[in-house]
Amino acid sequence: MRGTAVICRRELAGLFLSPLAWILLFASVLLNGFLFSYVLTKSRDVTASLEYVFGDGLFFWGLMLVLAPLLAMRLLAEETASGTLEFLRTAPVSDVAVVLGKFLAGSVFMAVLWSSAFLYAGALELWGTSPDWGHVVTMFLGALLASSTFLAISLVTSSLTNTPLLSAFLSLMACVWWLILPMLVASLLAQMRGLLATVFGNARAVEGYVLAMLDRMSIFRHFGRSYFRGVLDTAEVVFFLTWIAFFLFLTTRALEARRWRG
Amino acid sequence: MIEVAQLHRRFGPVVAVEDLSFRLEKGEVVGFLGPNGAGKTTVMRILTGYLPATSAERVLVAGFDVLRQSMEVRRHIGYLPEAVPLYREMRVREMMRFQGRLHGMDRATLGRRIPQVLERVGVADRERQLVGKLSRGLKQRVGLAVALLPDPPVLILDEPTSGLDPLQRAEVRTLIRDLAREHTVLLSTHILAEVESICPRVIILREGRLAADGTQEELVRQLGGEGHVRFEAAVGNDGPDAAAARELLASLPGVGAVEVGERLGIHQAFDIRGSGDLREDVGALAVQRGWAVRELSWRRPTLEELFARLVLGGEQLPTGAGAPAAAPNTRHRSVGELELAPDAPREERPAGRAIYSLNPFDQGASRDLGKPMPGGQGDPGGPAGECDA
Repeated sequence: MRGTAVICRRELAGLFLSPLAWILLFASVLLNGFLFSYVLTKSRDVTASLEYVFGDGLFFWGLMLVLAPLLAMRLLAEETASGTLEFLRTAPVSDVAVVLGKFLAGSVFMAVLWSSAFLYAGALELWGTSPDWGHVVTMFLGALLASSTFLAISLVTSSLTNTPLLSAFLSLMACVWWLILPMLVASLLAQMRGLLATVFGNARAVEGYVLAMLDRMSIFRHFGRSYFRGVLDTAEVVFFLTWIAFFLFLTTRALEARRWRG
Repeated sequence: MIEVAQLHRRFGPVVAVEDLSFRLEKGEVVGFLGPNGAGKTTVMRILTGYLPATSAERVLVAGFDVLRQSMEVRRHIGYLPEAVPLYREMRVREMMRFQGRLHGMDRATLGRRIPQVLERVGVADRERQLVGKLSRGLKQRVGLAVALLPDPPVLILDEPTSGLDPLQRAEVRTLIRDLAREHTVLLSTHILAEVESICPRVIILREGRLAADGTQEELVRQLGGEGHVRFEAAVGNDGPDAAAARELLASLPGVGAVEVGERLGIHQAFDIRGSGDLREDVGALAVQRGWAVRELSWRRPTLEELFARLVLGGEQLPTGAGAPAAAPNTRHRSVGELELAPDAPREERPAGRAIYSLNPFDQGASRDLGKPMPGGQGDPGGPAGECDA
């Protein structure tokens, strides 16, 4: 655990000592803030505008999809390329501690980014309209957990390559896939109805099963069903944490496999 | 401190290290030699636990198994990879603190130890500088400082002087020699001058196999064969006189072969090979014949020649038969990559080392020198040689 803390601390220092973190923060907070005030002036609805920038809008998900691969690229692929990963992996800390430390540092960065929610809510409070603070807090938590899941996915792809650019691209693709997988499969199944009917007899039932299964994996659905509505459901927390743990496990294994491949 | 037995490592179909065994005792400084791609880095990575071995009977560092007790091994090793791994965005001191924390050193120890180590490698004045802004040589030193910080008993340095200018290289060499007093050091290099000046013992790798292991004197004696006598004298004109002198030299007892070397002005050079030191015999012959001697010296093969012969020529190897047929090309290429003593700091050699292991008395001057020489020939040379020509 000491190793995790040490590495997390170093990664955070490294992130905030380099311009990348500041540029990412500046650009995303600027755009998000602009969107927020735009929607607010248009709709004159406090809840709707807060929801728009934290869960409802395209920009929210887009930001998540872009940021996680960029962070993961820096955390793993770049270090492999520069040789510092060799340093970490010959230091007296385990691979798990390395991955966990890096992931936590990335999550802290995400937390800093999404904490702008409190800024907006605070601004509203200041101007006399009190937002639903519980709602704001759950949205912040949801955004943090969702982006951490994407970060974990990106870490897996980032551990597979030592070309930072390739890592970022692959991670982006993986995240997009993960996000839209239920929709893709749904449309695929719809097209394959004829085939399914001949193979299984009852195409509707099979389609229903598959879709129900994928639906349970959908980040959109899990996010929309609880955090977005201001409900803090332990089942939803566990959902995200489980996937994060799974992908971090894959990352450690991928790193270990690299040792054997050399 | 380091023990390796029957180490194998393959990368898919490529065999990087094959059946390697060696031992390093406490306080030894050993140079790992070999052309590029001989497997030096792979072996070092295996020792640090970065790569696992494909199979090995035993790989122990400081008494710990590198696979099963990896954390213990890592605590006892200071490792400096070839691409010095430093975080560019951090300051030297921050980088040192990070390493200290990884090794579980407390704040007080760090506060004491960091200036000490930085002082030792000579970068105390750069403590606050960004690592990314340092020059190559300074980075190398900082990397060394990072490796030294936890005061590990074993130091593994992969090409610690690559990419440095001759002056920096000499400084790093001095530093390593200095470190050898307290640490067991294994360093790899393909620069021979370096090994000659730092490491008493050398391990030579060739295509992943152990080509030689021993002190430099041992290696030169065992693998380099006997030395030879270099003889340069005015023996007469180029053609017949030189040939006659060659015959005479060859007839000396103990002489195996005589090669006629180049001719410079009136002086003819000979390389005389044979058992033991033949200088006195040759000298006596020269006196008898009245040759004007310009050089009479004992030449032993240097580590450089030995290395070139061992690694590039593939001769005198116990495992030479396994060399693939396509090897000549690659070997030739590696000739260019070898830097044979690029800055040749000969004067740096520690004094008092036995370069010549001579026994001048086994075929000494007491023997009747005139006897073995076939007489009857006219004066083939002598000081009057130039008149003959």
